[in-house]
Amino acid sequence: MLVKIASAAVLGLEAYQIEVEVDSSKRLPGQSIVGLPDAAVKESRDRVRAAIENSGFEFPPGYFTINLAPADTKKEGPLYDLPIALGMLAVSEQVPINNLNGEVILGELSLDGTVRPINGVLAICYSLGKKQKKILVPRANADEAALVGHLEVIPINSLREAAGYLSGKISIPPHKVDIEALFQHEPEYGIDFADVKGQGHVKRALEVAAAGSHNIILVGPPGSGKTMLARRIPTILPPLSLDEALEVTKLYSVAGLLNRKGVLITARPFRSPHHTTSDIGIIGGGRIPRPGEVSLANHGVLFLDEFPEFDRSVLEVLRQPLEDNKVTISRAHSSLTYPAQFMLVAAMNPCPCGRLYDLKQNCTCSPSQVQRYWKKLSGPLLDRIDIQLEVPRLKTDELSTMQPGETSMIIRKRVKAARNIQIERFKTSDIYSNAHMSSKQVKQCCVLDKEAEAILKTAIVHLKLSARAYDKILKVSRTIADLESSESIKAQHIAEATQYRSLDRNPSTGSG
Amino acid sequence: MGLESYQLGKQGEEIAEKYLLQQGYEILERNFHSQQGEIDIIAKHKGFLIFVEVKSYSYRSYGSPVGAVGKGKKQSIIHAAQAYLYKDKIKNIYSRFDVLTIYRKYDGQTIIEHYKDAFYVS
Repeated sequence: MLVKIASAAVLGLEAYQIEVEVDSSKRLPGQSIVGLPDAAVKESRDRVRAAIENSGFEFPPGYFTINLAPADTKKEGPLYDLPIALGMLAVSEQVPINNLNGEVILGELSLDGTVRPINGVLAICYSLGKKQKKILVPRANADEAALVGHLEVIPINSLREAAGYLSGKISIPPHKVDIEALFQHEPEYGIDFADVKGQGHVKRALEVAAAGSHNIILVGPPGSGKTMLARRIPTILPPLSLDEALEVTKLYSVAGLLNRKGVLITARPFRSPHHTTSDIGIIGGGRIPRPGEVSLANHGVLFLDEFPEFDRSVLEVLRQPLEDNKVTISRAHSSLTYPAQFMLVAAMNPCPCGRLYDLKQNCTCSPSQVQRYWKKLSGPLLDRIDIQLEVPRLKTDELSTMQPGETSMIIRKRVKAARNIQIERFKTSDIYSNAHMSSKQVKQCCVLDKEAEAILKTAIVHLKLSARAYDKILKVSRTIADLESSESIKAQHIAEATQYRSLDRNPSTGSG
Repeated sequence: MGLESYQLGKQGEEIAEKYLLQQGYEILERNFHSQQGEIDIIAKHKGFLIFVEVKSYSYRSYGSPVGAVGKGKKQSIIHAAQAYLYKDKIKNIYSRFDVLTIYRKYDGQTIIEHYKDAFYVS
């Protein structure tokens, strides 16, 4: 006696269909699961037994062979509990077999027979072909599954309910969500740029960075507000488009980080991994590859506080995703690609003790210590950071008297307008913002007027800027001009952009 | 094995057989031996072939009595069951491993607990 039930497996961000085949034979009692199951799949044997007995069914006699086909790809996770249990009930004719009409069934079983939520439902739903119309998912994952419009999503609470539904004894209305309504919902960040007092020029630089999606590094003493400012960057970024929101939701679903209520993620992600995070944690990977911090920050902000304290290997692995906007991880059993389109925001102290440029306190670091600290940041890495900025410490009277600045909403409006100009500009190419321009595109799009050209020449001669810095200044000035909706790049735009190369100018840092 | 515990075991198997007959089981074999192991009772009931392991106690020991059938014991019973099926060319029948625990209280009352489908081939 053989029963086949359709299910699915997740590999990276993609999913593929598998078939759960349950066969019973009259032999000594027992069961085995084949088809490269991992530990969680193998353990399903014990969960399924308890769930069947506790749901008021009889655990069927005989020897069960459960095959997860195709047998040559690894299966992981507990999502096959429900299809296996239903297969065993169908084989023992406790559920009519002819009622199984190719529905895709997913779900983890609890010992009492209730169905628990699983990871990666959204990715699975996207992967389903035209033939599969109906899918049975755990109730807690129903919202997520219903985001894929054309599917008939049947939410399931328990094994008993699933069996009743498949027998035609009970009917469950398909679950629907209003995706438009979910998407209209303005993301709430709970923080605002108006919370930060003073630091006007830093806010301006962050606005420029957000507008052109430029990577930025903030250098300043402890307590100057670097972290506070960085956390507020997502609030001034333009809102996610529907496709971007779905992509972010999908990735979080696979990573198991989706809010269990299963709503669409509409806020841009902000990730700030601790500086002890390993290179695998940043880039993704592991024996069974998982998305890393760069992918979790997709379409959002990756904030690396205490930048030079990260392991050298961690800093160097950042280079590839910064260049390609995606990460490809190859392991023995698979090669996966995760998206990694993020804005890098790095923060660091000017020296290990943090008081190097402080006027009031003396720095206690030796020159060699300072040099070693800065040496962590390699040329190729700094090369990918367009804006370098010093964040000074605020004076006490400044803190108490300063008026709150602009709110995030006002800044976001300007950023959005500037981004729209860029989307229009790069319509025909595959980039979307100034930060990603190639040197050819820089030549094409960054047209300077006479005065601007003169200023740039002087700056290069006097500040001894490299060719690399030259390109960066042009890109950033393009963004500044976009913020003012100016067709050509004017003198003041170049002047401001030049300011954002503080590490190139500062000889003590020895970089640039 | 002391004489006392041997006798306890023999008595237990007698009690078990009587109990199973009462329940409508058909007894096929007592103390089936194969090279790999031994099965106390082989019975038939409602189309099932049942391999029964009998555990006797003179006092209530700690833990679950079924737990007293350890991994090695289970394996030897399973091997013996396979040998039995092979020997008699028995095919196409559902089978089951049961454990019967028999426990005599101080007042002479006997308590029998029947654990159906107690373990399976893994």
